[in-house]
Amino acid sequence: MIKPFSRSKRALHPWPKPPGGPHYSVCHFCDTLHESEPVPEGTAARCKRCGALLYQNRPASLVRATAFSMTSLILMGVVHYFPFLIMDADGGFRATLNLTSAARALFEEGSPILAVGLALFTIIAPISMAAGLIYVCGPLMFGRVAPGAFFVAKWLNKTEPWNMVEVFLLGVLVSLLKLAKVAEVHFGAGFWAFGLLMFCMAAAIASIDRDELWDRLEVAKS
Amino acid sequence: MRHPLPRAVHHGLAGCHTCGKVSPVVERVCPRCGSHLHLRKAHSISRTVALMLAAAALYIPANILPVMTVTELGDVDATTITQGMIRFWRTGAYPIALVIFTASIMIPLLKIVALSWLCLAASGKLHPSPSMLGRVYWFTELLGRWSMIDIFVVGILVALVQLGNYMTITPGPGALVFAGVVVLTMFAAMSFDPRLLWDRLEMLGLDPPSPPKSSDT
Repeated sequence: MIKPFSRSKRALHPWPKPPGGPHYSVCHFCDTLHESEPVPEGTAARCKRCGALLYQNRPASLVRATAFSMTSLILMGVVHYFPFLIMDADGGFRATLNLTSAARALFEEGSPILAVGLALFTIIAPISMAAGLIYVCGPLMFGRVAPGAFFVAKWLNKTEPWNMVEVFLLGVLVSLLKLAKVAEVHFGAGFWAFGLLMFCMAAAIASIDRDELWDRLEVAKS
Repeated sequence: MRHPLPRAVHHGLAGCHTCGKVSPVVERVCPRCGSHLHLRKAHSISRTVALMLAAAALYIPANILPVMTVTELGDVDATTITQGMIRFWRTGAYPIALVIFTASIMIPLLKIVALSWLCLAASGKLHPSPSMLGRVYWFTELLGRWSMIDIFVVGILVALVQLGNYMTITPGPGALVFAGVVVLTMFAAMSFDPRLLWDRLEMLGLDPPSPPKSSDT
């Protein structure tokens, strides 16, 4: 159900807290101890000392995280089959760039470590983030915990900084401009799909707060 | 400040790094997610300094060694990151030159400087100023990844430009070294514990009385 967005009447929809309490929240930045109180949907609790973000209450968090992750995975499939860049050089040469071709080329040209890094940052990290979010949030919508969900949720945190979809996109742009003087280069459908993927990934990650995800996991398990 | 705000460390409580649950540190392991509990990241400063020094040492070869070699009609031309940027500048592509300058030269350098500053402040060699420190730490955590852009460009160019005898591009040794710099600075930023700065502030009695600008709570 889509609720109309109104700033004046923000519903206080707290996520379920595990039994017991009081619940605390510690600022990861300055170590200030706060008693965690539910905040209205769409707002955030901030540290009283340093102003850093403590936790947020995102509207429709589980549904949004799952939906955006699914879209990301579908787009990943689309990206795989369409080129990012198409280059037409003199003499009828035509070269296309796919998601995997950069990593493959580096591997073949004698830089296997770089190739693995590139594949990790641009293919494996985004896919595992999206798949992990679906695996954890999907069953949670129905109050269930998938087997091994705690382990997956733990790894979601660790994978996040290594997801470099947006950096790769800027890299494609710079390469296009770099090659523009030697050959005719234009964007393929893969580029636009990857751009969409960037927004969907960001939306999926931003849809659910870490504290909420873990509180829900704990509640569903008990 | 009327009442000093309570800090978790004084109550023997630790917030889990993975799941955020607050538990007594004597439990050693987070009861919710099973991660190791600690008041402060272990050997935070020495780890950060070690990783940062390694990154600083690699930064020199990363800028001297060529990141890619262009073979055009038999002419072999190896370019470093700086040369690549200068070429963009000369051909009038100022925005890209600036992007490469910021991502590949400025960010790693600034990150190394910022991390050393944070380490000095946290170990008490410098007087920290709280408003700056927050921004510096935010910068090191968020911007480091953008330095990877040059490595991605090398990968893309190598993949696209394989035109037989006419023109080929191969990755140079500088690319791997540069990727090493980026990954090391990322790990260095991750191993730094910003709470140490506030420990230092508290010890000096400099607890910032400034409330946050916009509190939504």
